[in-house]
Amino acid sequence: MDHLIQPGVHYLQGSQACAEGALMAGCSVYAGYPITPASEVMEHAALRFPQVGARFIQMEDEIASSSALLGASLAGAKAITATSSPGFSLMQEVISYAIMAEVPFVIVDVQRPGPGQGYITASQEDVMQARWGHHGEGSAISLAPSSVQEMFDMTIEAFHLAETWRTPVLLMTEETVAHMRERFTVPPRESLSLAKRKKPQDLGIQPDEYLPWGHGVVAPMAAWGDGYAFNCVGLTHHEDGNVTKYSTEMHHRCISRLKTKIEGHVDEIARLETFYLDDCEHVLICYGSVFRTAIEAVEEARKNKGLKVGLVRMVTLWPFAEEKLRRCIETTGTIFVPEMNYGMMLHPITAALRDRCERIVSIPELGRLHTPELILSSLSRELQ
Amino acid sequence: MKKHPMLKYLKESGPCGDRLPLIMCPGCGAGQILNFIFMAIESLITEKGYYKDNFVFISGVGCHARLTSHYLNFDSGWTIHGRTLAIATGALLANPELHLIVITGDGDTGAIGGNHFIHTCRRNLNLTIVCSNNKLYGMTGGQSSPTTLNGETTSTNPYGNFEADFDLCELAKTAGASHVARWTTAHPTQSIKSIVKGIEKPGTSFIEILSQCPTHFKRSPSEMLRDFKKQTVRLEKMDETTAGKIPIGEFQDIQKPDWMSSYQKVVHSAQNKTIQD
Ligand SMILES: Cc1ncc(C[n+]2csc(CCOP(=O)(O)OP(=O)(O)O)c2C)c(N)n1
Ligand SMILES: [Mg+2]
Repeated sequence: MDHLIQPGVHYLQGSQACAEGALMAGCSVYAGYPITPASEVMEHAALRFPQVGARFIQMEDEIASSSALLGASLAGAKAITATSSPGFSLMQEVISYAIMAEVPFVIVDVQRPGPGQGYITASQEDVMQARWGHHGEGSAISLAPSSVQEMFDMTIEAFHLAETWRTPVLLMTEETVAHMRERFTVPPRESLSLAKRKKPQDLGIQPDEYLPWGHGVVAPMAAWGDGYAFNCVGLTHHEDGNVTKYSTEMHHRCISRLKTKIEGHVDEIARLETFYLDDCEHVLICYGSVFRTAIEAVEEARKNKGLKVGLVRMVTLWPFAEEKLRRCIETTGTIFVPEMNYGMMLHPITAALRDRCERIVSIPELGRLHTPELILSSLSRELQ
Repeated sequence: MKKHPMLKYLKESGPCGDRLPLIMCPGCGAGQILNFIFMAIESLITEKGYYKDNFVFISGVGCHARLTSHYLNFDSGWTIHGRTLAIATGALLANPELHLIVITGDGDTGAIGGNHFIHTCRRNLNLTIVCSNNKLYGMTGGQSSPTTLNGETTSTNPYGNFEADFDLCELAKTAGASHVARWTTAHPTQSIKSIVKGIEKPGTSFIEILSQCPTHFKRSPSEMLRDFKKQTVRLEKMDETTAGKIPIGEFQDIQKPDWMSSYQKVVHSAQNKTIQD
């Protein structure tokens, strides 16, 4: 028997389910730094990684913990850290490098309200930082789980995406689900999608033919120690990896390729979930744990208020699934966007759908999850 | 023409660029330091059966960091300014078989990466750190670094440096590295020996090599090398008559468990505990 969590029903905190999901995905390095409300992920990892024979280290700060992920991944391992917003700010430097050098790893951000030290409750105030926080162009993939089950499943999905697309993946979660205890089911191992990065040796590519970003949309990635004399750099580079003959055309090619790799494959990467869209006259769009109270409000509005509201849940925040959204919302009345911030995803949603609706209404909440009543009262007020 | 014996560790021209024209300024000490490291690795490969593919070079940003750039015929990472040791830490955790050679600078390790430096030594991670100390920020144009001497004039201390300078070896020693040494580019044999020892010895090895920057100090390299001989004195010979001189030699050589061997014990007890539970 190995030490991984066994298939079947379990009852754990979201943070713990996340650490279990990482191990299940084959993650072998956890490097972290404590911060409320994310420390439980780290504490569970501290307990569980040694049991599985994986490695756990408490670093000196979040710059160090994210840097350790970079090194671990370059040496061939799947690696994860969890932090909360102030720590997430410190990780932007590494995220930026990892986007340029195409280094996969997973960062969990159990968001807390800000700015500054802010507070330690629930928040979705980092969703823009997840897309625009690092310096320079390019982007990572961001996911928003809404249950303990998804803290497990989507940590595995995060590794799957990271390895498939050679990119950092950010699990943008909130204190709500991170601290929640719920039943969840660990599926049989055979049913899990667990991509592993392609290596040049798997494709028969010899060290002297290996191009760090050639051989397809996502280049195979040699690990340090594999004998490929693989030099990883964070500079703008040519197709062959050459960094020495800089030109703006070269920068254009390098960056547009990185952009296309993620944003050009948004249909393959991004997931939406839709509810009650067939007969709806208005749509609510949400993500993360807000989905839990939003779906309750929508069902209540339909049942008891006669309001035909549908719901779209963005499972993936970035790359932004603009075309998918436009495909599922052809024309509608009011679009409601409840978020635990003053309206952040409201901006890309507006850009995507302003011609498909009469108006867009933000339902902000700060520092705590919207109650169903808060959402319902907004629906009733605006629609009656 | 006879080829330099260490050229086999460089790529003449690989998919990632050509070796020549050289990117270092004429007379720079960085090339000497790379040569010392190659000589050390060569002796470990030929005499002790070390495996070339297990050597990984990691650097941050700076002139010294260019040593790990495109023409190095080893696995390498030319990474983020100051994060060098944290990145090496992750690589070591991922694969403890790797021999990680961290090339760093006085700014990279002493300033922006100072905290990572302290904690790497404290953890005694099995890394070999070679610090090219040219006593300034070479890459960005000769600004002051934490090792710039008091009174020295630089582009950010046009009126002379009024701050105290840092002794990186004393720091590494106090923080707990199992092996610490300082030499200069005028001490090739000693440098090579220390690097060999550093790679062989479990735990953190910090080897500082004072290196000349003729460009920013606007001096001739040979004069600077002669000065390294004159300004330094062996650690064990330091006394009241040598005040103001720079101590060189071995600052620390102790036996203590490295991080990974301690961690293996944790794994062992964690696994046995679950089985009993
Ligand atoms: C985050 C960040 N800050 C600043 C810089 C600019 N920078 C590049 S190299 C360097 C100083 C390097 O000094 P040192 O480590 O002594 O290396 P040397 O060039 O002297 O070998 C600085 C400040 C950078 N690349 N990244
Ligand atoms: Mg320097």
